Amino acid sequence: MPQPDLTAELTAALARRILVLDGAMGTTIRAYGLTEADARGTRFAQTEKDLLNNGDILSLTRPDVIGDIHKRFYEAGSDICETNTFSATSIAQSEFFVDDPREHGGRKDPEFFQKIIDTPFLNQLAWEMNVESSRLCRKWADDIGSDTGRKRYVAGAIGPLTVSLTNSPDANDHAFRVVTFDQVLEAYKHQIRGLIEGGCDILMIETIFDSLNAKAAAVAVQEVFAEAKLRLPIIISAAVGLGGETMISAQKVEAFWNAFAHTHPLAIGLNCSLGPDLMRPHLEELSDCATTHVSCYPNAGLPNPLAPTGFDLDPQHMHDFMAEFADAGLLNLAGGCCGNTPEHVAAIARAVANRKPREVPAIG
Amino acid sequence: MPTIPHALRLSGAEAYNHTADKRFLMIGERANVAGSPQFAKLVRAGDLEAAVEVARQQVANGANVIDICFDDGLIDGKSMMSRFLRLLQGEPDVAKVPIMVDSSKWEILEEGLKYLQGKGIVNSISLKEGEENFRKQAGHIMRYGAAVVVMAFDENGQAASYEEKIRICQRAYRILADEVGFNPDDIIFDPNILTVATGIEEHNNYALDFINATRWIKANLPGAKVSGGVSNISFSFRGNNKVREAMHSAFLYHAGLAGMDMGIVNAGMLEVYDEIPKELLQCVEDVLLNRRPDATERLLELAERFKGHDGKKIEEDLSWRNDPVEKRLEHALLKGIDKFIDEDTEAALAIYGRPLKVIEGPLMDGMGVVGDLFGAGKMFLPQVVKSARVMKKAVAWLTPFMEAEKAEFLASDIEEIKAADPSVSDEEALRLAGRRRSAGRFLIATVKGDVHDIGKNIVGVVLACNGFEVTDMGVMVPCDKILDKAIELGADVVGLSGLITPSLDEMVHVAKEMERRGFKVPLLVGGATTSAAHTAIKIAEHYSGAVVHVLDASRSVPVTTSLLSKDQRDAFGAKNRAKQQTLRENFIGGPKKETLTIEQARAAAPQFDWENYTPPVPSFLGTRNVGQDARAAFSLRELVDYIDWTPFFHAWELRGVWDREHKVLKTKNIEGAAEAAKLYQDALGWVDRIISENRLQARGIYGFFPANAEGDDIIVWTDESRSAERCRFHSLRQQIKKDTGKPNVALADWVAPVAEVFNKPGRSKTAAADYIGGFVVGIHGADELAAELDAAHDPFGAIMVKALADRFAEAFAELLHHRARIEWGYETEEELTTGQLIHENYRGIRPAPGYPAQPDHTEKPILFDLLGASALTGVTLTESCAMHPGAAVCGLYFSHLDSHYFAISELQKDQLEDYARRKGMTLNEAEKWLGPWLGYVS
Repeated sequence: MPQPDLTAELTAALARRILVLDGAMGTTIRAYGLTEADARGTRFAQTEKDLLNNGDILSLTRPDVIGDIHKRFYEAGSDICETNTFSATSIAQSEFFVDDPREHGGRKDPEFFQKIIDTPFLNQLAWEMNVESSRLCRKWADDIGSDTGRKRYVAGAIGPLTVSLTNSPDANDHAFRVVTFDQVLEAYKHQIRGLIEGGCDILMIETIFDSLNAKAAAVAVQEVFAEAKLRLPIIISAAVGLGGETMISAQKVEAFWNAFAHTHPLAIGLNCSLGPDLMRPHLEELSDCATTHVSCYPNAGLPNPLAPTGFDLDPQHMHDFMAEFADAGLLNLAGGCCGNTPEHVAAIARAVANRKPREVPAIG
Repeated sequence: MPTIPHALRLSGAEAYNHTADKRFLMIGERANVAGSPQFAKLVRAGDLEAAVEVARQQVANGANVIDICFDDGLIDGKSMMSRFLRLLQGEPDVAKVPIMVDSSKWEILEEGLKYLQGKGIVNSISLKEGEENFRKQAGHIMRYGAAVVVMAFDENGQAASYEEKIRICQRAYRILADEVGFNPDDIIFDPNILTVATGIEEHNNYALDFINATRWIKANLPGAKVSGGVSNISFSFRGNNKVREAMHSAFLYHAGLAGMDMGIVNAGMLEVYDEIPKELLQCVEDVLLNRRPDATERLLELAERFKGHDGKKIEEDLSWRNDPVEKRLEHALLKGIDKFIDEDTEAALAIYGRPLKVIEGPLMDGMGVVGDLFGAGKMFLPQVVKSARVMKKAVAWLTPFMEAEKAEFLASDIEEIKAADPSVSDEEALRLAGRRRSAGRFLIATVKGDVHDIGKNIVGVVLACNGFEVTDMGVMVPCDKILDKAIELGADVVGLSGLITPSLDEMVHVAKEMERRGFKVPLLVGGATTSAAHTAIKIAEHYSGAVVHVLDASRSVPVTTSLLSKDQRDAFGAKNRAKQQTLRENFIGGPKKETLTIEQARAAAPQFDWENYTPPVPSFLGTRNVGQDARAAFSLRELVDYIDWTPFFHAWELRGVWDREHKVLKTKNIEGAAEAAKLYQDALGWVDRIISENRLQARGIYGFFPANAEGDDIIVWTDESRSAERCRFHSLRQQIKKDTGKPNVALADWVAPVAEVFNKPGRSKTAAADYIGGFVVGIHGADELAAELDAAHDPFGAIMVKALADRFAEAFAELLHHRARIEWGYETEEELTTGQLIHENYRGIRPAPGYPAQPDHTEKPILFDLLGASALTGVTLTESCAMHPGAAVCGLYFSHLDSHYFAISELQKDQLEDYARRKGMTLNEAEKWLGPWLGYVS
């Protein structure tokens, strides 16, 4: 069921306090020690390729695990949790279900992806993943919300895809793209319709490596709004490298804001790719130019195979960084990306609980 | 609360915020096919790497935003926009700046938006097609997050006056800001910078109207920006950069004070405002600000001084009065002097006897010169209008004589008409007789969807001056209205004008309709985006009457006269058709045409009766070497006669056709012809020096081999037993679908097929024992000599030597081909003059790999190996298969009667795959070598 537009309610809440996002889905799943058989269940038992790394499929095969993760994040203090749909598009799912033509001397190109987009199985699967994940997260948001007396929200996660619209994999032809803008647009629209149908409150275009992919997602969101005659709040969040540029399309932070301001997002932010320390200068830059709320959910430091979560920073570290970010007036929404467990999120929630949110600059 | 200032906030990979404190936002205009002929040439030739470099230069030169435009009738704008923007994404130096997607076609703008990761600008939309369309387009642009340029157009056309400009901008602003929800900071108005100093009084206030409208917009439409195409303002003075630069700077200065935010400006065409000479600035500002009625005249006069090197002001010089009357009339027309026109016209009438002879003779010749100079940018629009006025005066003086003559002839004409057809009524006979004496009825209109009419108006004026009855239907005229009117008037000529690219499509539509409705009258096409090539390729093929492209207003007179003159009509029509045929053949890298699959194309190959064909047999097989080493080098003296001089003059940028017999360059540009004559003498001197000092050596090889075609390949056999393959050449087949029923040819079609040799029992093998020839020639020593001359500070000599070496190489190829045809036994020694040779009036062809019939350069190594050419001629191939030395020519010889030159284009993937397989290349490699000829995006 599509939800009403809660922009005003969320804006009012954001004026009062820093809202808390959730932590990592992928790295948290890993802690459940699931096997390939768990991921497949009976439904996908016959599938050729391994599905263990297809985290989104767990919404269908192990909804108990995904639900448990949502529950734990909401209990840890998340106001907003993201649906388990980072890769729930026909394009991203094709990685797990379709023979890679490159293994037979072929290549992935728009012709290949047109077939993907037109494959009923993949579309049906993507649809189910989005609707079911959105419902699952909705259920826990509503349950914990009524248990604790504090309203919780569901953000439909729209991931970056496994293909790039700005980059050519062919060294001899810089104009070559494996996929077209219209194909990406189509896949995203399908995902967004599913997320809305499942009852999410917010649409979150996140972990943006390639701003043109994200542009397609933003256009998709607006087109779906227009056709369904509704509107939901949008959050847009980029993954930038050490230099503060989107990882694939090399767009700088302010350029990124300028490119997405027209969508009037509830928040614009940064996530993933860096720990809070390395993200800070870029967050500051974004905070300086963005005339909307700023969100931030960094990784728990850099990857560290020896740490239990696979990442460097423990909950206390995240607490301290986020407290400092809030004091510096950089935060409206805070959470964690890779390596952030419910314990990390609880620490982040504590850090921002009584700290003033960033003041959104006015245009004038 | 912190605040962030209002600004036009744009981005590529980096942000660009145009805040109020920023000065002028510079939009680079060079990556625009309409703004830069050089860029257009690169794109048409498929050299996108160089085209990207143009964009990069723009950024390096400080452009804040780069304008990208592919509005050109010969470019598939949508796919080029897509491809080019994708290429720019991979160029960090360019990708950092915001991009302005520029087109008059919505579908191209829509496409461009799909390749901008940042926030760009869409240029442009307008209310031309009504509010609903405008809203829809604005909504779409907003969704993609781009700023927008709105042209001051509405359903009634282009806003020229101040009142129109502000009315339309205000209306558009209300719709965008209040209804669509567009961020006002992202709205950019282009209130039309129109050309001033055209000699037409209504245009005098155009600059001021723009400046005042800018001031009003900035004061009344909060957030809105103002932009414009600055070079338009000075279009009257094209060719005179000094004046243009001053006009641009002064205009920007005043428009900037009024609040203009940005403009499409060629940064290289801007004078520093303060460095404009005072007197010039005064005159320029008088024109821009419309400060005095004679401002245009005064600027024109002053402009003379800044033209070329001749800085000396011309005193009133009456020496031309001593010239013969034809020269006097020409001078009067050129200079726009009407003081003596009556007496000169009278004098001409005394000599020529009849008024019409005076008009068709010296007056029209004079206008022809005016047209050439205007076309070459050596005369300016106002001067042409002045010329037309002088012409009009001359015609006016002649009119009473024509009337008298007409009355005299009318009576006899009526008699004649009634005698020929007694059923004709008196009135009808009078009408018909009247028509006989009118220069012609000319119907002219700017086509549907286009509102530009300055050029068309000038054509109207000029034609009317020349005795044509001109009916001008105005702008945005639908096709059926034009054609209905043409029938109603009995128009002798229909003229179509258009400035924007979609007008080209509309012109195609009109041509089709004329054909459908059975028109026969000539169709004239003109306007800024039209071109001879587009007319030939896109328009002419849809209409069986004459379709003529007219470069500019002054050219319309001789063209129309020729088209309507009984004596000249046929010859002119034939010449026009031949020219268009050449344009079509030479055209490469054009728009997507309907194509065939390779199977279908092969099915459409020409069919020959090989059963009854006896191929000519060469007098020898194997190779013959000419000029084996430097000492035995072939005498260049023998080659001189074979030189085709026309391309030599083109190399020196002198256009025209070399008349071998009279040794003159045939061109209407007198200065050009004089220059050519001098150059020719110089060249002959250099030829003598080169030969007597033995500075260049000609070395060549040619040969014949048993060969048969197999599919689209040509097998070269080791010997006459035709059992073992020595090598094979690969040909490419035309894949464009031909409406005309003409075959889809490949070079292999002209060699007897192998199947005929072996698969027909009982047939003699020799009957189809065909042959192929090949040659390589090179001129050695030019690089060394040129380097010597360069070192001796003689760049002229260096260029001369290289230009001559090229000519010698071509001449050598021509001479060898001549010999080869004789050796092949189908031509005799004395059969052809060298003039005929140059015009290729002979049987057989010598196509070169890398040229239109077989554009794949990698066929060259096969040829070189077959001939052993590198060792025997010293001509070698670089890794990209270019020949060294540069003055070299190679090719295959074909003897078949039907063989002719043709062009390959729009190759499809199926053929490329097949071709790559035949050549043992990867598809990628084949696509790389044949890139510009591909009809698909590889």
